[in-house]
Amino acid sequence: MRRFVTKRLGYAVLSLFLLSLTIFLLVRVTGDPAALMAEPGASAEQLAAIRKNLGLDQPLWIQYGSFMANFLTGDLGHSFYYNAPVLDLYAARLPYSLLLAAVAMAFSLLIGIPSGILAAVRVGTMWDGAGKVFALLGLSMPSFWIGLVMILFFSVYLGWLPSSGAGTPLHVIMPAFALGWYFAAAHMRLTRSSMLDVLGSEYVKLARLKGLPESLVVAKHAFKNALIPVITLAGINLVIMINVAVVVETVFAWPGIGRLLYEGISFRDFPLVQGIVLLGGSMIVVVNLLVDILYAVVDPRIRLEA
Amino acid sequence: MGGFDGSPAGPKAGGGELRLSRRNAIAGAAAGVGVAMAGSGSAAAGLQGQLTYAVHISLAPTWFDPAETSGLVTPYMLLYAMHDAVAKPMPGSQLAPALAESWSVSPDGRVYDFTLREGVKFHNGEPVTADDVKFSFERYRGSSAAVFKSRVASIEIPDPRHVRTTLKQPWPDFLMFYASTTGAGWIVPRKYAEKVGEDGFKKAPVGAGPYKFVSFNPGVELVLEAFDQYWRKPPQVKRLVLKVIPDESTRLAALKRGEVDIAYSLRGELAEEVVRTEGLTLKPVVIDSPFWLYFPDQWNVKSPWHDVRVRQAAALALDMKAINDALTLGYSRLTNSMFPDSFDFYWQPPPMVYDPDKAKKLLAEAGHPNGFDAGEYFCDISYANLGETVVDNLQAVGIRARLRPSERAAFIQGISDKIYKDIVQIGSGAFGNVATRFQSWIVKGGPYVYGSYPQIDELYAAQAAELDRGRRTEILHKMQKLVHELAVVAPLWQLAFINGQGARVGESSFGKIAGFPYTAPYEDQTLKST
Repeated sequence: MRRFVTKRLGYAVLSLFLLSLTIFLLVRVTGDPAALMAEPGASAEQLAAIRKNLGLDQPLWIQYGSFMANFLTGDLGHSFYYNAPVLDLYAARLPYSLLLAAVAMAFSLLIGIPSGILAAVRVGTMWDGAGKVFALLGLSMPSFWIGLVMILFFSVYLGWLPSSGAGTPLHVIMPAFALGWYFAAAHMRLTRSSMLDVLGSEYVKLARLKGLPESLVVAKHAFKNALIPVITLAGINLVIMINVAVVVETVFAWPGIGRLLYEGISFRDFPLVQGIVLLGGSMIVVVNLLVDILYAVVDPRIRLEA
Repeated sequence: MGGFDGSPAGPKAGGGELRLSRRNAIAGAAAGVGVAMAGSGSAAAGLQGQLTYAVHISLAPTWFDPAETSGLVTPYMLLYAMHDAVAKPMPGSQLAPALAESWSVSPDGRVYDFTLREGVKFHNGEPVTADDVKFSFERYRGSSAAVFKSRVASIEIPDPRHVRTTLKQPWPDFLMFYASTTGAGWIVPRKYAEKVGEDGFKKAPVGAGPYKFVSFNPGVELVLEAFDQYWRKPPQVKRLVLKVIPDESTRLAALKRGEVDIAYSLRGELAEEVVRTEGLTLKPVVIDSPFWLYFPDQWNVKSPWHDVRVRQAAALALDMKAINDALTLGYSRLTNSMFPDSFDFYWQPPPMVYDPDKAKKLLAEAGHPNGFDAGEYFCDISYANLGETVVDNLQAVGIRARLRPSERAAFIQGISDKIYKDIVQIGSGAFGNVATRFQSWIVKGGPYVYGSYPQIDELYAAQAAELDRGRRTEILHKMQKLVHELAVVAPLWQLAFINGQGARVGESSFGKIAGFPYTAPYEDQTLKST
């Protein structure tokens, strides 16, 4: 087990290193932030002075080394645009992203899991067909469009919900729905396929042969096992929702991390983009690591294979 | 050093300062889901006392500090609220006395004597003195700082109410640069700025403007409160909240619902919706931002653009009235000039002409009876809608170009680096006057100039040294006529920045300062009484 955990830890560290290098280089490909910070017509000397002030005149390897050394001590750098520590900006927006992600995840699971179960149990019927249509719509309709339509209908026409911002429970409803819609479809599909697998397994057949009611077979024997991959996916999706709900947060002016990332990209705020991507990536790596370890704890075959 | 409070419950308002420790911020984040549900710090008591804005762009802390303000107009949205200047554009004047009640210029044009207004205070109660004026000037570090350094010989303080600025040589545009093009003339308190430092000042700015800083949630909102000791008059609206809502449709929705009172930047169909909605008012402001087509290859003898008839044909091909009606509801101004019509020394060209038949004839005379492949049409992606329509118009007469929109920063970089060829759609909203625009876009040595005409360059040098205003005006008019005759550019429009205003607003202050896109003076704003 120790060997398994050590191996997984090694992969996690390697993943983070590659992620940090990738985002460090990619963000610099977008262009020169000094050009955005200077007024039009700024001279080459003025631009050079801005770059020096931001530490961008250093060789890339020094910039990267400095960034990683700071990251390991909890310092994600200083936002060019907001002139504030990246970690502080991230921490200020995190509660909003957590709230939005939690509500969106709740919605996606409450819709996705029951509809997936129904589609699997009633495979080939209109319920299954309806589930497939739901999945198709959820995966193909862009969230910004859903968001704008919801704002038009529920805010402007009906006047039931606030159009944007945060501050009350009503504010979170529409962005959570717009964000969770896609994930509900994904959870529905996975639940359906997972249930179909489980419902075709030998022990379920035995349960039916024993004369158990179908509802008991589904609820007690099949559902729990089918849920395992769905929970895994939900965990990873939760991290994604927290960190990259860019479109939904921008449409609804929700003050979350996704919008902060969008602002960082727009303003070529290298430390902000690097910090957010690295923090988000770290969350995903940690979640994956924990899941892997949990699997190994639950299922000895996994750690023996490793 | 103070910081800002990242607590999601809203900032603590301790004397206008926000305080943060990393521990608090992280603790707040860990515990904070429920906190995020609490009302925001800006849920103000009493709608009568508050005016809420939906702002289209994320507010940067550098805009709180005049020392870092450049010639871009956006920071002045906040400068007019929180700060004040020695002199500044105001209703009816491009350079009105403000913190200085008067000034005089020596006959040789080198010495400027300013007399400060008596009894003016900063938000923290300190008086505005000549020492603060000198400090603010010396502290200025925007891109024109080098220009000031090279041209200003000294700043003296004969007494607390007088400032004497001596130039090395006469500089007719000194006051314009000092007071409107840069933040050097916008005054901050020396003692406070030195005490809190540069970063501290941006986190809790203090100025002499009509509104004082209360709180700032980066990327979310800025809250300001009326400064009732403002010298000009106490503001009538108690509180201003500027909420950042990046999406245009969402801004409109917020305006329609009454969640905001003023929404900046609503275009096209969304602007039409404002017109159709009862209780809302469209507030278009023609800003000092002309757009034009630039032909970088006109100095290349092998390029079709070298022939003036081709450039004239491009101008004649443009149905700007129809484009204006479609994209800005007819509110943009078709001046036929690349210079803002409110600018000092402006010359009004003849009206725009749309004549595609004549355009084709000119192209044929120039050796292109079937038109020609004009390459690429470069533009800022924010105005790609204008580019699309112009490309269509050019196509109709045979000038075939392909639209190449770029993200703003890349576009500006491209122009600066002079990598664009063929056709470039340019818009400039920088402060200044006609001469400063020539310097940037037309005459030799300008940052965006691909090539120049010697006759225009010579005239530019002459006007730069001319102290007699009448003669200087003549020269600059002559230069503008040459730009028109040589078809150096093909003017498009002077953009109307279209905004929406809600039913609660009495006086919004839109359009009161010529060419300024935002609401100012803030102290003139009112709410309708219920």
